[in-house]
Amino acid sequence: MNIFKMAWRNVLRNRRRSLVTIGAMAFALFVEVMYSGLVPGYTQAMVEDITNLEIGDVQIHDTEYRDAPSIYAVIEDPDAALKTLDEMGYPAAPRLLSGGLAASGEFSAGAAFRGVDLERDGKVTLVGTKIADGAWLDASDPKGVVVGKFLARTLQVKPGSELLVLGQGTDGSMAHELYSVRGVLGSVAEATDRATIYMVDTSFRDLMVMPTGAHQIIIKLPGNVLLEDAAPAIAAAMPDLEVKTWKQLMPIIAQMLDSVSGIIFILYFIIYIAVGILILNAMLMAVFERIKEFGVLKAIGAGPTRVFGLIAIEASIQTLIAIVVGMSAAAPGMWWMANKGVDFGAMGGMNMMGVSMRKIWYGIYEPATVAGPLIMLVVIVAMAVLYPAVKAAWISPVQAMRHR
Amino acid sequence: MSNNEPVIELKGVTKLYKQGKLEVMALRGLDLVIQPGEFTAICGPSGSGKSTALNLIGALDDATSGTVKLEGQDLGKLNRRGRSNLRRDRIGFVFQAYNLMPVLTAYENAESVLALQGASAKERKETVMALLAEVGLEGMEHRRPDELSGGQQQRVAIARAIASRPAVVLADEPTANVDSETAEKLLDIMEELNREHGITFVFSTHDPRVMKRARRVVQLVDGRVAADDVKEGSA
Repeated sequence: MNIFKMAWRNVLRNRRRSLVTIGAMAFALFVEVMYSGLVPGYTQAMVEDITNLEIGDVQIHDTEYRDAPSIYAVIEDPDAALKTLDEMGYPAAPRLLSGGLAASGEFSAGAAFRGVDLERDGKVTLVGTKIADGAWLDASDPKGVVVGKFLARTLQVKPGSELLVLGQGTDGSMAHELYSVRGVLGSVAEATDRATIYMVDTSFRDLMVMPTGAHQIIIKLPGNVLLEDAAPAIAAAMPDLEVKTWKQLMPIIAQMLDSVSGIIFILYFIIYIAVGILILNAMLMAVFERIKEFGVLKAIGAGPTRVFGLIAIEASIQTLIAIVVGMSAAAPGMWWMANKGVDFGAMGGMNMMGVSMRKIWYGIYEPATVAGPLIMLVVIVAMAVLYPAVKAAWISPVQAMRHR
Repeated sequence: MSNNEPVIELKGVTKLYKQGKLEVMALRGLDLVIQPGEFTAICGPSGSGKSTALNLIGALDDATSGTVKLEGQDLGKLNRRGRSNLRRDRIGFVFQAYNLMPVLTAYENAESVLALQGASAKERKETVMALLAEVGLEGMEHRRPDELSGGQQQRVAIARAIASRPAVVLADEPTANVDSETAEKLLDIMEELNREHGITFVFSTHDPRVMKRARRVVQLVDGRVAADDVKEGSA
């Protein structure tokens, strides 16, 4: 009496029930694996969008700027700060920030002006690649500006349109200049889309009468540098300035992204609890309808370990088949998610907490992505099978054989 | 075990079942001694305690008081593993409802006790093929229980019970689920095994055919021995 052969035949005995059990396990595994790769893929893309497009990994301001943004709260010597950052090996770009009014034809709106150092900015942010219509800023066209998506709609402008900009210069004078729209951005971030006008830094300085200083320095860390290591080092190098990571600048999103693993675990839990109940039910039925057989097995001398082992092997066989089926289904799915992604169509470009969502989500699939759901499945099956197996293993033979 | 030592010895055995608040005394001080090689029927009306007695002898259940010995070994002193090993090595069971494993073939069912004992495949094959031939199931080794008649299933159960050469075979109503002709054939087989191999058989029955064949008939009434008839000519 080969216990493995017997277990296998028992699995085949009620094929429909075994198929439902295996199917549920395989489906749960498939969903978990896909989800486990898709959510980190999405969050990583979100972090990349946050850090690559506007915020950078780390930002430096004058200590008063963020509490009370003012054109006068400047980093006095941005060149020195940039030199230090260059020496540390961290690409950085200065930004000039101000606000005012923008008007075109009969339309006007409040606007945020961004003066950009084109040479440095291209190494730090990818905002220049997000042009939906027209072209990005060009040093040879100092009167050309780029407008955020929704602002362009409000002002009814497109590439080639004239745009009047009004503000207050640092000398207290009325700052005003007529620009030409070079480009309109696609979705970047809520605030950028609604109000931002990008211009070449020299144009900003001319407009706002601001010959020196910068309001912000954006730093993009190399891939091998940890944010947690770099930020304190930068802060130590510039004790008179405020150094903040993107997580400190966008704490709600940072918290949300940090909680993703918790969200995945909760979903694991919900799906696997449902599957666990199904397995428990199937195993209870499988055990109790055969309780007399277990009684006979025990009567002829099989010990509790053998009976427990038989049930455990039956559950293991079903789990193993479910893993093969689930992973066979997940493998092409993972490839597709990692390489082609999921097109969220109209949802793409929507804003979530001020950050623009990508149209296509890609999954990230690593050994850990698969290992987590696999381990969880095995644990849930083990938990579900424990009660019926122990019950069958320890029941007295007489009681089992009398069972109705 | 010496030759004179009884294979089964019950002394002052009682068994009390509790079903909720209801207490049922199934055995009330049962004394019974069975010698090796006996072909004994324990009979009596329903509720007389014959199945309970068989369960106690088979180490399937515990006596409330008194001692139950098998080959001199006090079953009350054995732990769960000891009882399990004793059932595997020294006791064969034949049940009224055959109780074969439905997923195993006739051969696999018959060899199951030997497999539990850890006998080699060669040894199992030699023993089981000979036994299946002896009980008239040659050529049916690969059939599963649902492909066998009731009588054939009971023959497999008999083969399973005696495969390990136990000290005693306990047969609980072995002929209750088969027709007269099959019952007679099954009794022929068991009688022959008893005679040829000296295997002790103890039946729990109220089938007159079994009582007629038994060389000793123990009558239980209300959990006690009411009569104990040893037929003439039985050794």
